[in-house]
Amino acid sequence: MSIMEYNGGSVIAMVGKDCVAIASDLRLGSQALGISSNFQRIFPVTDRVYVGLPGLATDVTTLRERFRYRVNMYTIKEEREIEPETFAHLVSSTLYQHRFGPYFIEPVMAGLSKTPSGGFKPFIAATDLIGCLNFAKDFVVAGTASAKLFGVAEGLWEPDLEAEDLFETISQTLLNAVDRDAYSGWGAIVHVITKDKIITRTLKGRMD
Amino acid sequence: MATADGGAYSYSLTVFSPSGKLVQIEHALAAVSQGTTSLGIKASNGIVIATEKKSSSILIDDSMIEKVAVVCPNIGIVYSGMGPDFRVLIARARKSAQAYWKIYGEYPPTKVLTQEIATVMQKATQSGGVRPFGVSLLVAGWDTNRGPSLYQVDPSGSFWAWKASAIGKNMVNAKTFLEKRYNDDISLEDAIHTALLTLKEGFEGQMTEKTIEIGVVTVPTLEELEAGKIGGETGRPKPTFRKLSEEEVRDYLAL
Amino acid sequence: MSQQSAFSSPGFDFSNSVRNNFLQEKGMPLPKATSTGTTIVGCLFKDGIILGADTRATEGEIIADKNCEKIHYITESIRCCGAGTAADTEFTTATISSNMELHSLSTGRKPRVVTVMTMLKQYLFQYQGHIGAALVLGGVDSTGPHLFTIHPHGSTDKLPYVTMGSGSLAAMAVFESSWKPNMERSDALALVSAAVSAGIFNDLGSGSNVDACIITATQTEMLRNFVKPNERVEKERHYTFRRGTTAWKSENIRDLIVNEDITLVGATGDAMDTS
Repeated sequence: MSIMEYNGGSVIAMVGKDCVAIASDLRLGSQALGISSNFQRIFPVTDRVYVGLPGLATDVTTLRERFRYRVNMYTIKEEREIEPETFAHLVSSTLYQHRFGPYFIEPVMAGLSKTPSGGFKPFIAATDLIGCLNFAKDFVVAGTASAKLFGVAEGLWEPDLEAEDLFETISQTLLNAVDRDAYSGWGAIVHVITKDKIITRTLKGRMD
Repeated sequence: MATADGGAYSYSLTVFSPSGKLVQIEHALAAVSQGTTSLGIKASNGIVIATEKKSSSILIDDSMIEKVAVVCPNIGIVYSGMGPDFRVLIARARKSAQAYWKIYGEYPPTKVLTQEIATVMQKATQSGGVRPFGVSLLVAGWDTNRGPSLYQVDPSGSFWAWKASAIGKNMVNAKTFLEKRYNDDISLEDAIHTALLTLKEGFEGQMTEKTIEIGVVTVPTLEELEAGKIGGETGRPKPTFRKLSEEEVRDYLAL
Repeated sequence: MSQQSAFSSPGFDFSNSVRNNFLQEKGMPLPKATSTGTTIVGCLFKDGIILGADTRATEGEIIADKNCEKIHYITESIRCCGAGTAADTEFTTATISSNMELHSLSTGRKPRVVTVMTMLKQYLFQYQGHIGAALVLGGVDSTGPHLFTIHPHGSTDKLPYVTMGSGSLAAMAVFESSWKPNMERSDALALVSAAVSAGIFNDLGSGSNVDACIITATQTEMLRNFVKPNERVEKERHYTFRRGTTAWKSENIRDLIVNEDITLVGATGDAMDTS
């Protein structure tokens, strides 16, 4: 049994048409024993960037605080909000600094980045536990159900989904994947980020 | 003890004189105003920084002297004052820019880099066993956040943004000249000519491509910005700061 | 005056090691990092160097990234392919690239391939193989074209054609049968493409597309996804869900557009005295 499976939990992010979505289950476990059905592991970074931190729960808290500190310092120093690409590099370099004593987290990021012409472009990324960035064009997954999520997402994801359709696709992908993972489940939370609002919904899941 | 030149207070730079001055910083500024003139002008579509480089003897190989330095692809610096001090600051600035790149995957905005250099210079006014840097800097750069920006940094570590500024021996005259010549919608080409014209005032000797150094910041077009990086996603952005070659300087002087 | 830059403390942070070693002793194996099983190749041709790579990144038996970039930028005319632990190849090449930029700014010259090779081998040797980067380094400098392989422990080779990664045997078979000195550009590119393809199709650790990079004395051409032999076919059916399929328990909408109603105080709304 790997330490990555100790607390369970999974995160997925998907690209839609001018929007992105990031979703996670809500289970916190101690191996097979369920502890909480309301464990948040997706956090807002700025108005238009969210980060999901699946992995060891103690490191979820540590890294969340660490990134909060770094992003706040960035915002003050640079007098601007951090862009998702820049944040992804910050996450990556922070994790790689701990190359030989890693945090047991595989972050997933989703956000909208500003284009030079003033519009917004969907952005998702994920890294492994030592910070190797993966910029995907479609979806990224991480956590104990990642193998299942890959399979379901590969089948269900389609390009250019509108925000509401993306919500259905990411929700169904997550719910059906975590139903086949003993360590993930117990409800889910979905954030859909569009250029002018963020829709957050909690989903009902199997409680076994 | 207290004499006209600052007296007792001029020895320890961390001690204020009764009038509230740090005399060593003023001495550093005096060192700057003995240096050759440098200037920077912010144009509507870019920035020019220029300086005269004068060697004390014709026997010196002036191809060795570099007064306009590239820090990273989007930022360049020119100085007036002490060359050796400038070299130290440039090495620091370049390292700082690379450290920033390693963390954020992009080069620092002009203001952040200027702040870094200013911090280094400020530390030299408050630490034991050191003296202030004997240079003033003009930092020119472009970034996505603020666009083209021009900063002046002084030995005290203070810095401001300027539309046009001059430092060094002829700074007072040059600034007066720039005040008369400057307007907000000057083009980069015109700014380069204005820069050369300003340097000409009070220039001793012949202005040639060997005795003038010019650096320019160009504002990338929307297409250039959207084209992305050189060498794929992990590559580098197209440089927005560059030094003009001797041929280019010669062409500008000929006009 | 020897303070560190405010941005980073150099080197690695071992602060989690005590905890992680404890967990390992308790029988918790350390998790796998993304690795690039990889086929990377390079060969010399008439005008310079061609580098090639596949685009698959794996995490155990899972394909983590179907189209990653394995040809890394070092300088304008020097590039480096990476195999092994993906994060290590990424950060090692980035560190050296950063050092080369500083080097060329302070020397005023274009960096040489041997310089990059020496810095890479010294860096990797220092870490005694713990940094799992296996590299193919190629480029053209003032002394001509050069091609090297660098192993994770710091040993290097200089050869006219090289392969690395789990697909190296398949790719080398192609080179051994067809490489000739002084090949034309188009022939060399086809050969590199065939060598990488041999890895893509015969090695499970390699897959997806062929990236190539042609470096000559005058220019560098990065051919991202030069061949795409494994494109996903159009899905025969669409699986979009009818809106409302997923039942939700609660909803919270954060509006990013701030609406402000301005109520003028005072009947006429006198203009502010700005004199």
